Amino acid sequence: MKKILALLLACVMVVGLLVGCGGKTTEAKPAETKAAAAEQTPAEAAPDTIVIMAPPVTGNYLANLKVWGEEFHALYPNLTVEVIETSWGDHNDKLSTMAQAGEAPDIAEISSGALGTFVEMGVAIDIAQYLDADRLADYDANALEYMSLEGTVYGLPLYLTIQSIGANKTLMEELGIDVAKIQQKGWTYEEFLEVIQKGTADGRFGFVFANSGVTASDMLNIFGAGAGLSNNFTEDLKYTFTSDNMLTLLTAIEEMTSSGYMPNYGVEAGQRMVMCQTGNAMIFGKAMPLFENNFKKNNAALEANDGTAVENSLKMDYAFLPVPTMMGCQESCYGTVDGLIAMRNKGTTDEHLKNVLLFMDYICSGDRIAACMNELYLDPVCQTGRDALVLEEGRDEANLATAARCIAMVQAPPAGVTAEMTATAKKLMDEQIVPKFQLLLAGETTAQEVYDHICEAAYAAFGQENCVSGKIG
Amino acid sequence: MNGTKVRRLKAHRKFRFTNEDLWGYIFIAAAMIIFCVFTLYPVINAVYTSFFEYKPFGSKFIGLDNYVETLKYSKFNLFYKATKNTLIYTAVVVPLTLLISFSVAVMIIPFQKKIQSVFKAMYYLPGVASGVALSVVWLWLYDSSPDGLVNRLLGVFGIPAQNWLSSTKTSMLALMIMALLSSHGTQIITYIAALLGIDNSYFEAAELDGATFFQKVRFIVWPLVKPTTLFLLVTGVIGSFQVFMNAYMMTGGGPDNSTTMIGLLIYNNAFEYGKYGLACAQAILLAIAIAIMSLFQFRLMGVDVEY
Repeated sequence: MKKILALLLACVMVVGLLVGCGGKTTEAKPAETKAAAAEQTPAEAAPDTIVIMAPPVTGNYLANLKVWGEEFHALYPNLTVEVIETSWGDHNDKLSTMAQAGEAPDIAEISSGALGTFVEMGVAIDIAQYLDADRLADYDANALEYMSLEGTVYGLPLYLTIQSIGANKTLMEELGIDVAKIQQKGWTYEEFLEVIQKGTADGRFGFVFANSGVTASDMLNIFGAGAGLSNNFTEDLKYTFTSDNMLTLLTAIEEMTSSGYMPNYGVEAGQRMVMCQTGNAMIFGKAMPLFENNFKKNNAALEANDGTAVENSLKMDYAFLPVPTMMGCQESCYGTVDGLIAMRNKGTTDEHLKNVLLFMDYICSGDRIAACMNELYLDPVCQTGRDALVLEEGRDEANLATAARCIAMVQAPPAGVTAEMTATAKKLMDEQIVPKFQLLLAGETTAQEVYDHICEAAYAAFGQENCVSGKIG
Repeated sequence: MNGTKVRRLKAHRKFRFTNEDLWGYIFIAAAMIIFCVFTLYPVINAVYTSFFEYKPFGSKFIGLDNYVETLKYSKFNLFYKATKNTLIYTAVVVPLTLLISFSVAVMIIPFQKKIQSVFKAMYYLPGVASGVALSVVWLWLYDSSPDGLVNRLLGVFGIPAQNWLSSTKTSMLALMIMALLSSHGTQIITYIAALLGIDNSYFEAAELDGATFFQKVRFIVWPLVKPTTLFLLVTGVIGSFQVFMNAYMMTGGGPDNSTTMIGLLIYNNAFEYGKYGLACAQAILLAIAIAIMSLFQFRLMGVDVEY
């Protein structure tokens, strides 16, 4: 009896473990069912489940996604939407693991920079085959370029986000700096240096940039846009980081770091805005237009004195600023597109993909995207979104205009860049450029040494003939 | 000659598959199934995948290319740098952890059982906390600004503020300090268990001979806990070779890849760049290195160890 009882317990343990592992198999059943159903009945009537995986793109995005899923189901009763919620921290890893196992969700949120990895993996789908051309035409060509590789469109853009620098407008104006002029006409690096010098005082840096760890790449990308390095490749598909522009950019950053106008130690991402709000820094990066909302909320909290304001913070207005230009390059702004891509999994069929694209288009356009953009303080990148957008009241006109001007300056990646080129450029950036750049920020090397290393690594990766020499722009 | 044959035949005849044997096999089946599903199958699959350019829908056989790519020497191949970093980290952290754990265990053992339990709980507590939570706390401690907690502490002694995680001079040291101060609860408890197993008569005899505390530790305790030390050393080296989270959470491998460990490199290849085949090849090489290291340790230290 004892033996039988022990055996039973052992069996329960093993079966329990195996059932736990087999969860995905159970999830895969709807895909099999839908494939079978699609063969037997007309596509319109066949029941189908669309799985979308997304992080909280905005504060309300995941909650909204469920509502939109229900609305979509009311419009197409045979189609059901299942949402897999992730956090920003685990989204990419989870998506990569699911994709590698052939169990990717039907729709996933990605940043355009990661597109190459999924195309190389063979899980990204050419969406133009499954979406009506007139619907595709609703999206801005510039934003669609980000979701394309080698002329193939793999996803729909949610938004074009711009990353630049922000400032304590109140302090800048007190110091006699013409903020409006900077916002309207831009500025040069030399002017920027003068301003941060003016903003530096006892206990306050003129400028602070979150540059600790992997965030160091943000500084390269954002200031690179002002130095003519908006993209990794030129129109004739040559690698740009070996140009003279890169050396100028690195020299400028070396100068900023050693000037004393910005901290010469690593600053965590969460510290930068706090340093500005507490009066420890005047200008900070990276910054986005939506930070205006944070400053407004903090001001309100300070007035209400309800204890929710940032500790030791001061009341101030926020200014979204363009990035300074270097070497006489044309003014530009660093932008990336975040969007949704359709992904292949073990249960993918053509009929299913049509349904997937129907839902993807539904949530990337119209009222849905307008609601998102209002939360992000960004302009929609599709016509139906712009038509539906009703701007929230109380937004700063100058910041709004600056953001619009910056968005217009964003340069999409050139056509013809292959997935392999993108993947190589990403590996080069992560494994060679950023680590050496971190050394420069720590004051342990020179701009010239970093530049030489980048050139050597880029020549090894792409071949010297495929890298730019001399100046761009 | 004939006698040997007869003995063998008898032995053959003696072996009968009894009811007891059947139950034995049934009971070990649970452990075997778990081992096969969660250890053996993944290992075999990793070896298999390492010969492919892995893609979820149609992998391509590329033979030993992933191994060649891993081992091909280049200034830009991170495998060698990661190996060097991992070896340095292991060489410092593992022996120091053992030394600290042994010293703490020796200091705890003279106390009464209740007080021992309090100390054991105190030292084990960081092990209960999630590694991610610990990393967040350490990130806060290592704040590089002059207001950072560790920097303020250094300031008391007149030492200038350090750029802890962003400078090549201090990044590896920072990770080592973190490992040394937050991960020896298990080792301490294992050492205490080993110390409790030493017969009191040895100490009584030593006291009669007038041995000092350090002589007792040197000539009684240390030799008698050698099997435990060997066990902790081997498992410590294995764990240290697989270290991942500290570097991932604290530095991301930087600056200048000074804290890129093999575990982090494998993770990046698999999940950042989607190169599963390459990551599997690197993982297999890591496993081989660990196996050789363990064998070496057993050969070196295990000569006079009896279990």
